[in-house]
Amino acid sequence: MTSLASPRQSFDIGRLARAVAPSLPLIVFLAMFVYLGIASPSFLEPSTFALILKQSIPTTIVSLGLATVVMAGGDDVVSGGIDLSIPAAAVLAAAVVADLVTNHAWFIGPALLIGLLTAVACGLVNAFLVVLVGMTPLLATFASATAFVGIGKVVTASRRINVTDPLVVWLRDGVIAGVPVGVIAACVISAVFYFVLHRTRWGLNLQAVGGNRDAAEISGLSPAKFIATAFVIAGLAAGIGSIFVLARGSGWAPGTEENMMMEMVLATFLGAAFSPRRIVTLWGAVLGAVLVSALSVGFGSVGIDIFWTGCIKGGLILVVVASSALSRKVNI
Amino acid sequence: MTTSSAHILEMSGITKAFPGVLALDNANLSVQAGHIHGLVGENGAGKSTIIKVLAGVYRRDSGQIIIDGKAMAEVTPALVHAAGLRFIHQELHLVPHFTVAESVFMGQEQQGWFGIKSRAMNEAAERFLEETLNAEIRGRTLVRDLGIAHRKLVQIARALIDNQARVVVFDEPTAPLASAEIDQLFDAIARLKAHGISMIYVSHYLGEITSICDRVAVFRNGRDVGVIDDIGLRDSGRMINMMVGRDIADFYPVKNHAPSEPLLTIEGLADRKHFSDINLEIKRGEIVGLAGLIGSGREELVDTIYGLRRAATGRMLLDGKPLTLKSPADAVKHGIVLVPRDRRQDGLVLDMAVADNINLASLQDVARAFLIDRAAAVKRAESVADRLDVRPHNVGAISRLLSGGNQQKVVLARWLVTGSRLFILDEPTVGVDVGAKVEIYRLIEKLAGEGAAVFVSSSDPNELLGLCDRILVLLRGTIIADVDTATTSLDQLIALTTGGELQHGATA
Amino acid sequence: MALNIKRACLTSVALAAVVGLASIATPAAAADGNLSLKGKRIGVAVVGTQHFWDREAFNGALDEVKALGGEPVPVDGGRDNQVHADNHDILLAAKVDAVISILGDAAVEPKFKALKEAGIPVFTVDHLSPYSINNSTSDNYYMGTTIGRFMADAIGGKGKVAVFNAFEGALRICAIRTQMWKYVLQDYPDIKIVKPELAESFANAPEDARKKTLDLLTQYPKGTLDAIHVGCWDQPAIGVVQALEETGRTEIKVTALDAGPDTLEIMAEKNSPFVANVAQQPHKIGMTSAMNVARYFGGEKLLPQTFVEVVPVKGPDSAKKVYEDLGYGKLK
Repeated sequence: MTSLASPRQSFDIGRLARAVAPSLPLIVFLAMFVYLGIASPSFLEPSTFALILKQSIPTTIVSLGLATVVMAGGDDVVSGGIDLSIPAAAVLAAAVVADLVTNHAWFIGPALLIGLLTAVACGLVNAFLVVLVGMTPLLATFASATAFVGIGKVVTASRRINVTDPLVVWLRDGVIAGVPVGVIAACVISAVFYFVLHRTRWGLNLQAVGGNRDAAEISGLSPAKFIATAFVIAGLAAGIGSIFVLARGSGWAPGTEENMMMEMVLATFLGAAFSPRRIVTLWGAVLGAVLVSALSVGFGSVGIDIFWTGCIKGGLILVVVASSALSRKVNI
Repeated sequence: MTTSSAHILEMSGITKAFPGVLALDNANLSVQAGHIHGLVGENGAGKSTIIKVLAGVYRRDSGQIIIDGKAMAEVTPALVHAAGLRFIHQELHLVPHFTVAESVFMGQEQQGWFGIKSRAMNEAAERFLEETLNAEIRGRTLVRDLGIAHRKLVQIARALIDNQARVVVFDEPTAPLASAEIDQLFDAIARLKAHGISMIYVSHYLGEITSICDRVAVFRNGRDVGVIDDIGLRDSGRMINMMVGRDIADFYPVKNHAPSEPLLTIEGLADRKHFSDINLEIKRGEIVGLAGLIGSGREELVDTIYGLRRAATGRMLLDGKPLTLKSPADAVKHGIVLVPRDRRQDGLVLDMAVADNINLASLQDVARAFLIDRAAAVKRAESVADRLDVRPHNVGAISRLLSGGNQQKVVLARWLVTGSRLFILDEPTVGVDVGAKVEIYRLIEKLAGEGAAVFVSSSDPNELLGLCDRILVLLRGTIIADVDTATTSLDQLIALTTGGELQHGATA
Repeated sequence: MALNIKRACLTSVALAAVVGLASIATPAAAADGNLSLKGKRIGVAVVGTQHFWDREAFNGALDEVKALGGEPVPVDGGRDNQVHADNHDILLAAKVDAVISILGDAAVEPKFKALKEAGIPVFTVDHLSPYSINNSTSDNYYMGTTIGRFMADAIGGKGKVAVFNAFEGALRICAIRTQMWKYVLQDYPDIKIVKPELAESFANAPEDARKKTLDLLTQYPKGTLDAIHVGCWDQPAIGVVQALEETGRTEIKVTALDAGPDTLEIMAEKNSPFVANVAQQPHKIGMTSAMNVARYFGGEKLLPQTFVEVVPVKGPDSAKKVYEDLGYGKLK
């Protein structure tokens, strides 16, 4: 006699998924770190840790921007908030700064200001496309990213530009009290972002908009304003990130944004797995960026083929996004 | 009638027209200070329209709104909010990953030099929930960890936290709640009343209206047709009479189908959330109705029978053989078809031609080696469309351009060509004009006459009574009655679906 | 008749395997019996392994390190200059005894500096750096002038020439090659270089160059362009030849530098527009670098640069002969 036994089974699988899905990325990461620690003794040394932090800086900064957009737009990967163009905007701003400093002998200060304004303008473009034109953020920012990369190539004629300005060199190599300057700067910037988005009324309202747009509207908040502002903040993050892009690469080189975009998406959504509320948060994004950087360093030190590294990172994005989809499915 | 207390809210002569529909026709609604004012009426009676006019969502065409003695020339959400009106929408509108305190204070958070004052907000929210709503909920708890009743209370607390509320409007607040939870909500409402807050309570559940309201206004066809003061448990019948009126058009077909042997049998079906212990039987050549309010589990039950949802326990038999449906595709294979409630969304590919929509489920019949035989397909679609009198008489027309009734006919036509045995019709005539309704009713009658079993789920009691042989009444997830339409009155049916107590002498 | 990239790649992979085996079978160290890297861990960083040149130089270095008894620690940048630069941090953290760094742009300089400060000697391949003990490379000066003369001959001493020149400003070896080529052209006043010069991308060079060539050809209709030169390598030339064959513009002559088996095969075809090249021996260059590491540890004084012999290639017959001479096999 066939009763409706199979639905009952699937119900139990659902419960299992509910219990395991949100922690899946954590489990996978933990397993990888255990493996890396065993396979490469140097992976667990303090100098490696400093290296991981240093290499994570540009990803950390752009992830702050993405986390802001996701928090304001909701964490549905397709229909919610997403900004794929942040690395492209950062690299464009870096191109502008590099061009002004190296090819036009500008002082670094005004050049950085122009770079920052460029990136903020990129954010405004996205805000316009998403809020006023009504495009899906995924499509809008994918398209604008392509445009930003193109503009960057026009500015630089697609040729590498070295930057040897003392400020950039200092951000790259400087050390204060044994801690790299870049790491300190990234911590300060992250702290400011954290305070504004998690500890102020404005930040909470922005999260409300992302969490339930109708609820926010009923509470007298204007979702469009918050979403537009989030894209501009993402542009600001891109602008700040551009300095670190220049410092990390000792100048501008074409193609830098590709790897960064993958790491940014991975870091931001990975961060959600660490949040007790299982949502994208700023500190989660920062932690995610550090973990992603740790993976890159770890794979390098074990000598894993670079192409496998790409496969593994892509696979991780799948695990992270799938687990967030699963936990959403079982939560509702 | 004594009007000892002053009116805190008066709406008079409100008219609101939408293209083709007069939603409110010179309607009145007045609420006395400190009262709980019930608002009842059938779907489309104008209840939600007048609430939306009051909320500033719709702009009235004419009429006067006076809040606390002041006439409101302009009504916007911000202005009515400032005047002390608060709306508890049917939807919860909460952020699942926010804490209770964050939700309660949304839009009016307390902030100091070091950012959000989380602790102060937690304490204030807890105190408010405790003192005003008699609920013990921790401010730090996440909304998603709360039960529905507590979420409802958080929603209410958010509307009231600023202590400026004068009138609170509840729109079907109990729809998602279980009965124990309803008591909790009513307890909170009683507290609010004790605090001197006036309320408007909109509900389909007449039982609730009679137990908590002081006064009730009944709406029908866009106007207030009566007010009952000092309402008591015995007033359900009066309300139903007012709601229904006496103008039921007789456009249902003559029943000349004959039920034969059972086709679908359901035993002990339950999904642990929306419905439980469902037993039913539908015979060939029988039309069985399913009545139940929104939230009664009616939609979920229909979806489960069709294979869109999974049941937790129970079994289904088709023709005496066990039936396990993993998906709607399975159902179609067994000759079970669903005509969905939202045909624009679920039933039709709107940008496809009528012929393509008709053939959608049976392309294999008109396909030759994977290629569709266009001529045969169009010919077959034409013959079915003619039979159903789909207008315009052009199967090449784009489905989007058809009227609601004709779209519905196209959906039915699709399943007619597949030769199905069991038709599940979910709200078959919603959004359909009267003329098309009659045709759809005739078609349903014809299906049964040809030996098909038909299961109609509808929120229109007239429709169920006019069309069906039997009606199953679903109330909060269980079938509480299985009535023969020949011996059941409209009032009795409404009383059953609304959980109201029907007094003798109220029969129409 | 058009030779597609896939075939070229397959052949070169097969060849790489053959060459690799050959070099293990005949350890070069035999020539210099007292050289040894026994007990040493040698980091080998390569910018990418997709292209024949990079891969062969990398394999050459790895093979020779092993042949000399050392333990290689390989890292691969996946043809991303930033990843390549960051990989040096990993080698630093892994505390290798010496680093062989193959190619790379200015982003590696600060990494070299850090390695030097940590007492780890850096040996470069095709990359001139103040922090490097020794740079193993081809005779870039000779390559530049030779290809200049060959190209001028191919177009009869006059005409219009387009040049792919993305790296003149970024890599010293490219500056040498391109500037030497231009130096020769000074004596051909009737040869004009098309402005602006083209910039090929570093990754996916053949496909990128193909698209850019197609654009160029629409700008310069038949009779207005006589040659296309790739200034510093020859991977883009694969795409250039494809574009010429697609549009039937094979009257335009193509010249480039490196002459790996993939491009030699294209040159060897009858009536190939790819007329001149200068072949390097990347495997030998990689081996030389590894031997230089051993010499350094053996107390020998090294010159700043070690040059490995190059072989000019002119025309199909010459291409077939060089293909055979360099051990890539036999072409019909």
